[in-house]
Amino acid sequence: MAGNIVIEAREVTRDFGDFRAVDNLNLKIKKGEVFGFLGPNGAGKTTSINMMVGLLRPTSGQIFIDGEGVEKIEKGTIGICPQELVLWDFLTCKESLMLMGDMYQVPPEELKVRVQKLLDDLFLQDKANTVVAQLSGGMKRRLNLAMAVVHQPDIVVLDEPSEGLDPQSRRVLWNYIRSMRDDEGKTVILTTHLMDEADRLSDRIAIIDHGKLLRLDTPSNLKKEIGEGDVVEMKLSNPDKNLEVINILEDMPDVHSVVEIEDGLNVRALDAVGKLPQIIDLVETTGVHVLDLSVRQNTLEDVFIDLTGTGLRE
Amino acid sequence: MKFISIAKKDFKELIRDRRGLAMILLFPMFFMLVFGFAFGGMGQNNQPNMIAVVNYDTGATLPGTGEQVNFGNNLTKVLEDSTYPDSDVNLFNVTKTTETDADEKLKTRDVDAELIIPPNFSQSVVALITNTIQQQTTINPSPNVTSTIIIRGDTSYIGFGVSQGILTGVLGQYQDKLMSEIRNAVTGSPGVEVDTYLQSKVESIPGTGSFTTFDFMAPGMIVFAILLLTTTVAATLTREVEKGTLARLKLSKMTSFDLLFGGLIPWSLIAAAQVIILLTVAVLIGFHWQGGLYSLLLAILVGIIGGVASISLGMIIAAFARNDRQAANLGTLISVPTSFLVGAFFPLPQVVIANFWGQPFQVYDLLPWTHILNALRSTLTFGGGWDTIVYQVGWAVLLTTILFIIGVGLFSKNRLRAEN
Repeated sequence: MAGNIVIEAREVTRDFGDFRAVDNLNLKIKKGEVFGFLGPNGAGKTTSINMMVGLLRPTSGQIFIDGEGVEKIEKGTIGICPQELVLWDFLTCKESLMLMGDMYQVPPEELKVRVQKLLDDLFLQDKANTVVAQLSGGMKRRLNLAMAVVHQPDIVVLDEPSEGLDPQSRRVLWNYIRSMRDDEGKTVILTTHLMDEADRLSDRIAIIDHGKLLRLDTPSNLKKEIGEGDVVEMKLSNPDKNLEVINILEDMPDVHSVVEIEDGLNVRALDAVGKLPQIIDLVETTGVHVLDLSVRQNTLEDVFIDLTGTGLRE
Repeated sequence: MKFISIAKKDFKELIRDRRGLAMILLFPMFFMLVFGFAFGGMGQNNQPNMIAVVNYDTGATLPGTGEQVNFGNNLTKVLEDSTYPDSDVNLFNVTKTTETDADEKLKTRDVDAELIIPPNFSQSVVALITNTIQQQTTINPSPNVTSTIIIRGDTSYIGFGVSQGILTGVLGQYQDKLMSEIRNAVTGSPGVEVDTYLQSKVESIPGTGSFTTFDFMAPGMIVFAILLLTTTVAATLTREVEKGTLARLKLSKMTSFDLLFGGLIPWSLIAAAQVIILLTVAVLIGFHWQGGLYSLLLAILVGIIGGVASISLGMIIAAFARNDRQAANLGTLISVPTSFLVGAFFPLPQVVIANFWGQPFQVYDLLPWTHILNALRSTLTFGGGWDTIVYQVGWAVLLTTILFIIGVGLFSKNRLRAEN
């Protein structure tokens, strides 16, 4: 098992002055998996990643890559696709990729082949000789990713790669991420706000908040752990009574959780459909009635909200 | 050869950012134009000095003849008629007015200086005449009458400095001529002319006789413009940090030397272009220099070395600045005082700290731009060849190399290692 671990964070803590961004993080990432990193804004995801790739020193604790301290690993082992678009505006797509390849000392002939393939795989071939400043947002995102992998690193870190992408571009990106894992055997670390993305792509997911690791498991196990069954979403005639209704419904048998989301209530329960008459009766005992109601399956977002709450983050 | 890839990248970025490039290249052009027009005519063309004359002289009666005279009017006429030597250009443009109006004109700088002739001016001249006659005829001298001519003006204003200097000279001459006339009238002979025995003459360094203030200031202006390149380089490099592109490069196998030496190449080309533009504009607006094309070529070479020194300083600033605005501010904060310290605008007091090969080494000589300025002056102003600037160029190259090494070290330490 130990040989299968490619990244290990051991009791990693990072402080910025009085603020603790990452608090005693322990995790192991397996070789060849897509590892999802989920957390609200400011949860400590990017800080954790910057420490894992060696851009930031932990205040305490250690990071190991293939069993070696991150500061000692050979440059080029990791490729990082940052959250922001980190591109040179006045270079073309091809020039940007050739430059990064040169910086990693990829042999020129091999580099040409790789650049060509990346441009094809990420649908940038038509724009190969277009300067970055003239690309669309989606194209820039794809180039941002291509620049992180042109040297064929063993570990690829993608920090919110789908931010601002349309569904078509997102699909291209997802396919490419899958192909990196399935065809090239790379380890991919993925941070995202998109639950759907994390659910579909990740082999395992770590949920982090306030710098602490809350859960680490496969998407299906997380959903099971937080609560099997369905979610009833409803809106009441008087949202001021939401709290009172929550208190009543939480006492019902087989109801896992009741949370307030945007003036509505999400009730997670086993056999929610069967319990609907009873739920509605209990709601009406408070003097309000149900305005709108729907039932759906439990999702990763429910797990996420359940663990991290609904409060807004900076 | 990763630095070549970096050089190509920086060059493409510089060339393709048309607006940024225009700013970088047009700046020295405007800069030289402004200074050229401001100082171009100064010191070369004779122009009348604007003065106001307030004549309070009440006149006097000449002894013997009983003739009514007013020497105040006479002096005013002399001032109006005085011309530059070998020229028909008047020394003064005289406005005869009241003291209040003259004071007002001084404040608005409509006149450079104000000359106040006292009420007893004629009386004192008459007393001078009377006493001279009495001395010659051994009669007991009459009581002395003293009058004081006042030259008033803003002592901090260069126009006043020039005007009062010329006025003092003209007044001295007026006194001498007056004495000479009186002696002539009394004895029939003007006596011995002082300037038959003692003469003075101002000579310029060969070739600089027709130079204007601008011609002497131009090398300093070039150094100042080159020093401001520091700000641009510091801001550009810091932008690379801010945008995150440096973090991308930091993860690669690129070294600090690759980044900075690679960056140095296109920026040196920019420095060369700036120096050529500076010199071309200067020549087009009437810059006089010595030594022909050879001097200009030497000046370009020297200017490029100065540019490299400024780029290196920019790299040092980029190692500390948090964002491009801070880098630009810090660059200005450092490069402007440095231009004063190297003597780009004013001569500096002698502060010799050592002697090398028989040449004094001053505290300012620790800055490469001092040597750049000295070399530019040697070649452009005095027409010196390579042999006259080799000492200065040698120091400039050595100090620039040291500055670049410091830049690489600091940038590597502060920017290319994992953040603490």
